[in-house]
Amino acid sequence: MDFTLDSHQEAVLEAVGTLLSRHAGPARLHDLGGDEPGYDHDLDKRLAEAGFLDIAEPRSPSRLDAALVLETLSGALASSAAGWRLLVLPTLDIDVEGPVAVVAESHSGPARFAADADALVVIGDDRVRLVRPDRPIPRVRSRLGWPVGDVNELPEGGLIDEAPVAETLSWTRVAVATEMVGAMQFALDITVRHVSDRRQFDRAIGSFQAVQHGLAECSVAVEGARWLALEAAFTGSASTAAAALTQASEASKLIFRRTHQYHGAMGFTREYDLHLATLRLLALRSEAESFGRPAAACAHEHWGI
Amino acid sequence: MEFDWTEEDLSYRSELQDFLAEELPGRWEGATAVLGSADNAEYSRRFAGLLAEKGWLTPHWPAEWGGTGATPWMLAVLGEELWSRGEPRGPQYMNVNWIGPSIMAHGTPEQCQRYLPPIAAGDVIWCQGFSEPEAGTDLASLRTRAVLDGDDYVVNGSKIWTSYGDIADHCYLLVRTDAQAERHRGISVLLMAMDSPGLVVRPIPGMVGEHSFTELFLTDVRVPVANRLGPENEGWSVVREALSFERVGAPRWARAAHVLDETVRGAMEQGQSIDPVAVEAVGVAKTACEAARMLCYRVIDERARDLPPSPHANVARVAMVQAERLVADACAALQGNEIMRYGSDSDLQMRKSLAAGVAAGTYEVQLNLVSRRHLRLPKN
Repeated sequence: MDFTLDSHQEAVLEAVGTLLSRHAGPARLHDLGGDEPGYDHDLDKRLAEAGFLDIAEPRSPSRLDAALVLETLSGALASSAAGWRLLVLPTLDIDVEGPVAVVAESHSGPARFAADADALVVIGDDRVRLVRPDRPIPRVRSRLGWPVGDVNELPEGGLIDEAPVAETLSWTRVAVATEMVGAMQFALDITVRHVSDRRQFDRAIGSFQAVQHGLAECSVAVEGARWLALEAAFTGSASTAAAALTQASEASKLIFRRTHQYHGAMGFTREYDLHLATLRLLALRSEAESFGRPAAACAHEHWGI
Repeated sequence: MEFDWTEEDLSYRSELQDFLAEELPGRWEGATAVLGSADNAEYSRRFAGLLAEKGWLTPHWPAEWGGTGATPWMLAVLGEELWSRGEPRGPQYMNVNWIGPSIMAHGTPEQCQRYLPPIAAGDVIWCQGFSEPEAGTDLASLRTRAVLDGDDYVVNGSKIWTSYGDIADHCYLLVRTDAQAERHRGISVLLMAMDSPGLVVRPIPGMVGEHSFTELFLTDVRVPVANRLGPENEGWSVVREALSFERVGAPRWARAAHVLDETVRGAMEQGQSIDPVAVEAVGVAKTACEAARMLCYRVIDERARDLPPSPHANVARVAMVQAERLVADACAALQGNEIMRYGSDSDLQMRKSLAAGVAAGTYEVQLNLVSRRHLRLPKN
């Protein structure tokens, strides 16, 4: 057990951080449309060129470094489907150039990245398919901080031979949990700064115990989600993956309500960055549920119920 | 960063599990009693002796005092395996985790000789004389007074919520030795024999299972100066250091996870259909135990690196309290009206979960520490 970054991980995250400081972050997301952003193909290209998108070898059982990169991308509010590529595609050993979207076969309706993806990974009960849509998937107007497409009546075919369904689903959970952690940390950090600076009644509002306790609970929840997601990425354990996603989903409810509450009306504005992270959490949570209720998956993985 | 166990830790766990399967078959008598009950404490005297024989009661102590050089990770494995079986060490875990180490750090050679071997052998029970009627969470406001008279301190006052006060041999007692000093100064630690004349112990019936606390009334109790631990009036720093050992020494998440597991398996064995609401509750509760586990591991990792205590310990404590509470809710959701049956899993866990956020420092104090030390939110 080692909870600190090794020198290789440190170097990778520093390089990713440098790239993101120039080509991602709230300002870039505002440029792309803010809470209604376009897909950041330019960022994907840069990440791919630097070799960050295939950091996990195909079929590698441990994808901790890829999860660390994804958490950093999410914390920088990247408008990219890199999470699927980093954590899910290595399970499938398939060749796709551009962005992919991952959807449940039973799902129809809005899905992140579907309109921008070159292909969709479609996870069914007993099969995984790689679907290249025969006509463009229409965009959906969404204000939750992601580019969204409307998935309906996908063509048949594209069966991926011997794709491990449960494992694919499990890595999908790790990816969503990791993305949630990055966004939650963004929201928490910006809120800690705000309540430390904002003064009312001649004192910083962050010195009131009601606010302190609320944020302390948020922090504990996010830390729990982070370490479960990283452990799941390291071990590839399906039960830890389900627990990580459950923890992240539960934590995101606290983060959404409380970070907005402690910002007052400032948090409603499109100009201020908080909503860029919090609204994304709503999309991530519902996406997580489209693959089955996370807590039910956790109970199933542990006890078969 | 990596999350593998070493071969050494894995084989230690498996050896320990084999031993426990032999010695603690199924639900040993104490497991249904609550930590702190007289049954559990009596059982612990027998069981701690067995552990001591294997070198597993104080494995992390220096060899001089019977230790076997166990790493913090091995100690964590030991704690997990024992707590997930109802903590058969009972009150011994206090002796082993912080009372013993505190005596080692601050005791005279005579005190070490006298007190450490019986702890290492597992045949002594200690209680902690901390809280008072007017000094609970605000411990530094304690008033029990010790006045020097010749070679003795004469102690007057009272202590409350003292677990094991009725069966303990010794008490790790906090007293005020300088009434004029600023409140954090002027406190000393005395190692008091529980058969001292002038000490009256009164049980306080509790509703957390069979757990009963006691109240200690001290009237002109004489404690030899030779029994003072550390310098006079510097007891606050002695006890703060001691409690930093304690805080994550008790992996309550492991016990909560075990109760949840037993309850779910019990329902499955009875062929009970588990409705979606209960499935959701057990999934959330299991998750909370898992999160607490990782947050405790982060603290153990720091300890293994010899880093000073950090606010990550407070984060872990908060997560453990939440896990205990969510497991109680999940057991209640699973068992329905069984909660009315005295001693059912849901009945016991609901009671225990009440103590989780109070014993050894309240949930709210932990949140204060997380917000100030971890998030660095401003003071007023």
